[in-house]
Amino acid sequence: MPTAVARFREVLGARVLEHPTERLLYGRDGSIAEGACGLVLLCETADEVSACVRIAAGAGLPVVPRGSGTGLCGGAVPLDDAVVLSVARMRRILSVDPATPCAWVEPGVLNLDVTAAVAHLGLHYAPDPSSQAACSIGGNVATNAGGPHCLSAGVTSQHVLGLELVLADGARVRLGGEAPDPPGYDLRGFVVGGEGTLGVVTAVCVRLTRDPPAVRTMLIDFAAIADAGGCVGRVIADGVIPAAMEMMDRRMVQAVEAFTGAGLPLAAAAVLLVELDGTPAEVAEQEEVVVRVARGHRARGIRVAADAAERALLWKARKSAFGAVARVAPNYYLHDCVVPRTRLVEILEAIERIGARHDLVIMNVFHAGDGNLHPLIAFDRRDPDQVARVLAAGRDIIEACVAVGGVLSGEHGIGLEKRDFMPLTFTEAGLRAQGCAREAFDPHGGMNPRKVLPEASRCGERVLDRDALPPGTWL
Amino acid sequence: MALTAPRTVRPAGREDVAELLREATAGGRTVRVVGGGTASRRGRPAPPPDLVLSTAGLDRVLVHEPADLTVTVEAGADAAELQERLARAGQSWAQADDRPGATVGGLLATAASGRRRLRHGALRDAVLEMVLCTGDGRLVRSGGRTVKGVAGYDLHRLAVGALGTLGVIVEVTLKLWPRPTASAWFGARGDTAAMAALGEDVRRRLHRPAAILLGPGRLDVELVGPAADVVAPPGLVPSDGPDPPAAPGRVEAGVPPTALPAFAAGLARLGLAFQAQLGVGTCAVGVAAPDEVAAVRGAAIALGGHAQVVDGPEALRADPWGPPPPGVEVMRRLRDAFDPGHVLNPGLFVGDAGPAAR
Repeated sequence: MPTAVARFREVLGARVLEHPTERLLYGRDGSIAEGACGLVLLCETADEVSACVRIAAGAGLPVVPRGSGTGLCGGAVPLDDAVVLSVARMRRILSVDPATPCAWVEPGVLNLDVTAAVAHLGLHYAPDPSSQAACSIGGNVATNAGGPHCLSAGVTSQHVLGLELVLADGARVRLGGEAPDPPGYDLRGFVVGGEGTLGVVTAVCVRLTRDPPAVRTMLIDFAAIADAGGCVGRVIADGVIPAAMEMMDRRMVQAVEAFTGAGLPLAAAAVLLVELDGTPAEVAEQEEVVVRVARGHRARGIRVAADAAERALLWKARKSAFGAVARVAPNYYLHDCVVPRTRLVEILEAIERIGARHDLVIMNVFHAGDGNLHPLIAFDRRDPDQVARVLAAGRDIIEACVAVGGVLSGEHGIGLEKRDFMPLTFTEAGLRAQGCAREAFDPHGGMNPRKVLPEASRCGERVLDRDALPPGTWL
Repeated sequence: MALTAPRTVRPAGREDVAELLREATAGGRTVRVVGGGTASRRGRPAPPPDLVLSTAGLDRVLVHEPADLTVTVEAGADAAELQERLARAGQSWAQADDRPGATVGGLLATAASGRRRLRHGALRDAVLEMVLCTGDGRLVRSGGRTVKGVAGYDLHRLAVGALGTLGVIVEVTLKLWPRPTASAWFGARGDTAAMAALGEDVRRRLHRPAAILLGPGRLDVELVGPAADVVAPPGLVPSDGPDPPAAPGRVEAGVPPTALPAFAAGLARLGLAFQAQLGVGTCAVGVAAPDEVAAVRGAAIALGGHAQVVDGPEALRADPWGPPPPGVEVMRRLRDAFDPGHVLNPGLFVGDAGPAAR
């Protein structure tokens, strides 16, 4: 690597990090995986990204693109001393077009900063992952991130009009943009969710959404988790797609209430946070259905946020759930399966049984409206026996979700964490075809290697059933 | 070249499609894929295929889950019949075009979003899961039967709009939306520029109108929602909604939405029939001669857009796409990987060299 390091320094000067402590920091992301980072490149422009990717390709060095490093599936964790290319310093909002409305932003811009920059125009950026104060738009594109309000607004792919990409050989290409439906394949749509394996995104044209004229936020209290789950399914089946419909179970309500003091009902078995938006008439029409269905499912109380401040408080309670878990245990492992909405109640019961079987505390806070579960296993990483049980329970949860027709991930991605579970839902031919598509972007496999697909998911090669992670990886 | 019409085969199941394509690739025989035949005058003029593969035998609705708002359907199913069935459950495939006779697979292969795109978004965003049969006969499933999912690479995103050049769409799971309580069209007539300004005013004033369509001297707005919201906006009166532009050929242009009024003004000056989706940026233009295609494309490119010929006699389709799109090298590698024998749909791959380059 010495020659390559010298060449990286020609491009980036002191923004090449080699110190073991720095490499240690960049060897992790928001997941529980630990990797091995060879070198860190802090790029500030697309030209720098292009030059660095070209140097790395020439030297045969694998490159792992990184945004804020908040990802939960190990997608930004480098393996085998790979080079981490951070775009966190590319934080400019390049242009705002209030009429389309859309904005071109650099990949390091934080999700919430997009909305902050356009709020005075009555606009916002719709996808709102819980980590939105810390996660980057580039990372959102990589994982096709979701969030509570993606229930009606759709996930990141529906909010990316165009992007600029540095391909594995350093070439730059602009895919899509303000003009819809360019001829040829929808490469823009395919790159969203590519987990940094198809190139490095250096600019994103995000669709902005007008603030709705009316919003209604309700907290509904249930005495039984089956009632809450049944209510979710019935609201959807009765033709109402709320802006958001989130569920928290009792353990999570208690942790969050201790943390935020938002006034959540501590005796509830589960609460639903339902938000409706649209015209005043739309909101009224939907509210009538939600209230009727909730009462039909024995709701004990319906608290309607009286003003923006109360609404913000309820959302703060929801979005600080993961921070609140720190009061329960030093570590947590957050899962991300999706099941058909008609199977919510039975899967919640199955998860409860899995927790009991492995003697673990499992808490639930999730996007109930689209069936996107987030079972959270609280544990203490210092106890190897607990860790083993956490991993075993995780596998059981994934298998239970798949067994009812679910998918491996709703919004976090596959990365390293679920890579070896891919054969649970895809055939060998399917995985190979995915490998073919990846190779069309990156023929030599230098972009974020060993992520997403089980190794050897290549055109024409046999897919291995399971393969060992490299030494030093902690998963 | 065969003097008789190519043989048409109607596989009855996905395995038959796979076997047929494996054999076609092995034998180097070209295959034209046909659904309802509503987009058959498309692409670069090409020699007749050796075989026509009709999806008419793959027309079953496999699973409709009304409570989950999803439907799994075979590609050859008639889209209008599917919509009727969904409507009985108070639901719709809200993003799809409603051209008569089209199949589900045909709409997806041509990425034919409908008139309510302003409210409901593009067709490609409604696809949750797909079974695709590649050009060399591999059956490949991507996505999942849930309304959200990021597991693996979304091959279905590539197949939507690929005009069948990566594989034959065999089966899809679609995300559905509840049908609105009420819907109605409202219209106005006048100078095109004034209509464009009125349309932009409607877009600013109203929350999520379903469609704002600008034509020569006319504006048509569709509103959906509770009855209280479906009332005539200022300056418009109840109407029947517009028909698509009638002409020997049709160009679909895409320009930045902010440039669409200027683009429409240019089309009006040229005397062309058109229907522009304000707020979206797409515009269907009726054309009758190659120089009109060139003029429409020139105007679109000057505004940062593009224009493709999507229907018309061969004389209009010598250059259906214009300049190669960005990323065409990646597209070529995708085509090579998914249809290694290049047997699928001659003339329909955007990266094929045109007559001038041969």
